[in-house]
Amino acid sequence: MKKKAIMIENDLCYGCYTCYVACKQEHELGKGLSFINVVEIEHTEGDNKVRKEFAPMKCKHCGDAPCIEACPVDAITKRSDGIVLIDNDICIKCKNCIDACPFGAIQFSEEIIQKCDNCIDRIDQGLEPACVHHCPTDALKFGHTDELVKSKLERAAEKLLNPKYLEVVE
Amino acid sequence: MSETKKTTCRGCHENCGVIVTIENGKVKKIEGDPNHPKNEGFVCPKGISYKDQIDHTQRIKYPMKRVGERGEGEWERITWNEALDTIANELQKVKEKYGAESIAFGHGDYRGTAKTVWQYFFTALGTPNSFHTDGHYCYQPVQMSDIATYGSFITSETGPDYENSDCIFLWGGNPVMSHPTRAKDIMKGIKKGAQLLVVDPRLTEIASKADLWLQVRPSTDGALALAILNVIINDELYDKEFVEDWCYGFDKLKERVQKFPPKKASEITWVPKEKIIKAARMYSKADPASLHIRQGLQLNVNNVQSIRALSCLLAITGNFDIKGGNIVTSFPEGYKGIRNFRNKYTKGQLLPREVQEKRLGAKEFPLFSGPDGITNRDCFPRYAVDAMITEEPYPIKACVAVNDPITGFEDSKRLKEGLLNLDFFAVSEFYLTPTAELADIVLPAATWLEKDELVENFYHNMVGRRQKCVQIEECKDETEMIYELADRMDIDLPWNSVDEFSNYFLEDMDIDFEELKEMGIIKGDMEYKKYEKEGFNTPTGKVELYSTLYEDYGYDPLPDFEEPPKSPFSEPEVAKDYPYIMISGGRHIAYYHGQGRQVDLLRELCPDPLMEINPKTAEENNIDEGDWVFVKTPDMEDHVEFKAHLTKGIDPRVIHVQSHWWFPEEEDPEHGCWKSNINAIIPSDPPYSEFTGSPQIRGCLCDIEKKVE
Repeated sequence: MKKKAIMIENDLCYGCYTCYVACKQEHELGKGLSFINVVEIEHTEGDNKVRKEFAPMKCKHCGDAPCIEACPVDAITKRSDGIVLIDNDICIKCKNCIDACPFGAIQFSEEIIQKCDNCIDRIDQGLEPACVHHCPTDALKFGHTDELVKSKLERAAEKLLNPKYLEVVE
Repeated sequence: MSETKKTTCRGCHENCGVIVTIENGKVKKIEGDPNHPKNEGFVCPKGISYKDQIDHTQRIKYPMKRVGERGEGEWERITWNEALDTIANELQKVKEKYGAESIAFGHGDYRGTAKTVWQYFFTALGTPNSFHTDGHYCYQPVQMSDIATYGSFITSETGPDYENSDCIFLWGGNPVMSHPTRAKDIMKGIKKGAQLLVVDPRLTEIASKADLWLQVRPSTDGALALAILNVIINDELYDKEFVEDWCYGFDKLKERVQKFPPKKASEITWVPKEKIIKAARMYSKADPASLHIRQGLQLNVNNVQSIRALSCLLAITGNFDIKGGNIVTSFPEGYKGIRNFRNKYTKGQLLPREVQEKRLGAKEFPLFSGPDGITNRDCFPRYAVDAMITEEPYPIKACVAVNDPITGFEDSKRLKEGLLNLDFFAVSEFYLTPTAELADIVLPAATWLEKDELVENFYHNMVGRRQKCVQIEECKDETEMIYELADRMDIDLPWNSVDEFSNYFLEDMDIDFEELKEMGIIKGDMEYKKYEKEGFNTPTGKVELYSTLYEDYGYDPLPDFEEPPKSPFSEPEVAKDYPYIMISGGRHIAYYHGQGRQVDLLRELCPDPLMEINPKTAEENNIDEGDWVFVKTPDMEDHVEFKAHLTKGIDPRVIHVQSHWWFPEEEDPEHGCWKSNINAIIPSDPPYSEFTGSPQIRGCLCDIEKKVE
């Protein structure tokens, strides 16, 4: 089975929080919980220069997932298409997976361990995950990994060749 | 039982196509329609969460009348018949006793087709006083400038063609939060290589994507715009052919802009001279380039002449009605256009001239409120409030309102005094807002999920439809309420049902509303440079850089900049006690004006009224992130409070606070509407914009003090 993934391009995110709300609707999540979060970071250079950046953060469904390694009861598994899933019937809520996850993508909420499942119910019907469907800027894209990488490569090339970046306005 | 229905969201102005999943008569899910050309699958948090708005426990679901004193917040459920009979009788009584002009129709929150039908109803009733509580500082100042310059209106979000633009110049707006699908289109342009220029005192979400951000001192935009014109004209970077063929008064404009060399403008605006020159070159050298003007320039005394400089900028760079520039949108062939209809009838032409001359503000603001006004011809709202309180020049005794001016209109405590003084006040609403709490009768208005409706897409040449998904208790489409009221008052309307209304506008297209519901959308062809065939709808038939219309009315025919009346430079003595410049009203995507704060899904995104403050200023005032801070202004006794968010994206001399705050969860009837409502401390006294009557609402002076719990 050819694997599909979500690619995140931070430079296209402007912090509209639509993915956060779309995820909550899809998974009927309670207050304060969503499987995708938008982190806003302000950088300053010297006294005057300030930049603002946004990063949508969610489970990466890692190839070698540290959460799977960390789970003592094998409650976390990987589907054949690469999606990492938690079985709450097996889970003993030890939270080792939360400690192991390098992205802060696993949460303990409403007394269970929860995280993004890439909207398996949607993708099994041929739909995009809810966050990707609602992203207005394509900062979140869903597709086969090689296609996603190609689209990123093409955008980078376009940027390189765009006169906007070559020509410095006097 | 589960079904899906395609319809059009009305959580804000944007009109996004959505797919609604309905289960057992309840809305289960709302998603963006991927096939809708406007939003392409996206719909913002307001749209998604609307399922929680419609059957919320606090929703008004039945007609109600007050049972205690007015404004006490005691309500009793009544029948539709009793509600509409009461309104008809009370309006009739006021009309007979004082004259129709003593009835005002209060609006501001654009409610789709209902706005037109309400306005037609009140015009037919004989009153010239449409009491548009934000018209003088929102949208109409831009119309006032654009229409005088070109005879059409293209520099707000209706005009810019971002997707095909090489340079996007965004002035005083943050569409990520206020017009989310337009922000989406800006990103499309950027991905295709467009440069983004942003003028804003704040490092907004969209400014964070800019190639060049000009952090302007609030209320000095006019000086910045004139300096940009100065560079473009003096360096001959303008479109000589377009100026030669199509512009009137270029030499006079050239002379005027000499008053604003970049160095001088830099001192006024705090924008470095180099950045002013760079912006002028970026915009004028890009071909094509689009321009978008928003609220930053409008809520001020110097609003129209500042915007005029930008209307001229767009023209002399040859970006008028071209692909990738700013486009004059038009509807599909044969479609009559609700806006066209409104312009023709409900602006007052149904009324004899002498009645229109009675409109409050007609004499003082002739191009805004007068019989020959060029914008919406609403009354000047402050004068309507005066007429409620002082009964001068004649009393306003009854009002029907479809918005919440207690949170949205400046000097809102004085407005409350006026509304309490009325003989009769009715409100049609979704929730018991602080304004609705002051009414005699409250009508439960249907939201977009509860009605069929013809939809005009604000920004594209499209006609679409809403389809009823659910019925919530006794909520009713406002247009149906009006037809029933008109029937009771023997008022003749051109239509008597949603179908009749819709078919009237569609009849020349050879389709009917039922067919449109199936089709979803009809899109017109895009045509550019229409002026080559039609000329410009101005007195000279050209783009009037020098406005002969303004000249006739005694206004300055050329754009200019004046220091705003309330600033550290015009009021240095006041500034000693009120050392900060205050701006307000930057939006959050969760809320549409005062709407949405009941909904958990939205409130979670922005739980408290926020103040943006520079860390340096915060430190000087002993303020930490998350502290509550009082804000005071010189002219008002009260103070309001906001939660501090520290950011270097705002100048240490400037404070920004959010607007429209009330707390639905707090005790009625006030719902905390004076706690963090910035309009409670913004006066409505003169000086005013001589064109639209806007007082200085932004860029005024304030002081802050940490709230000690």
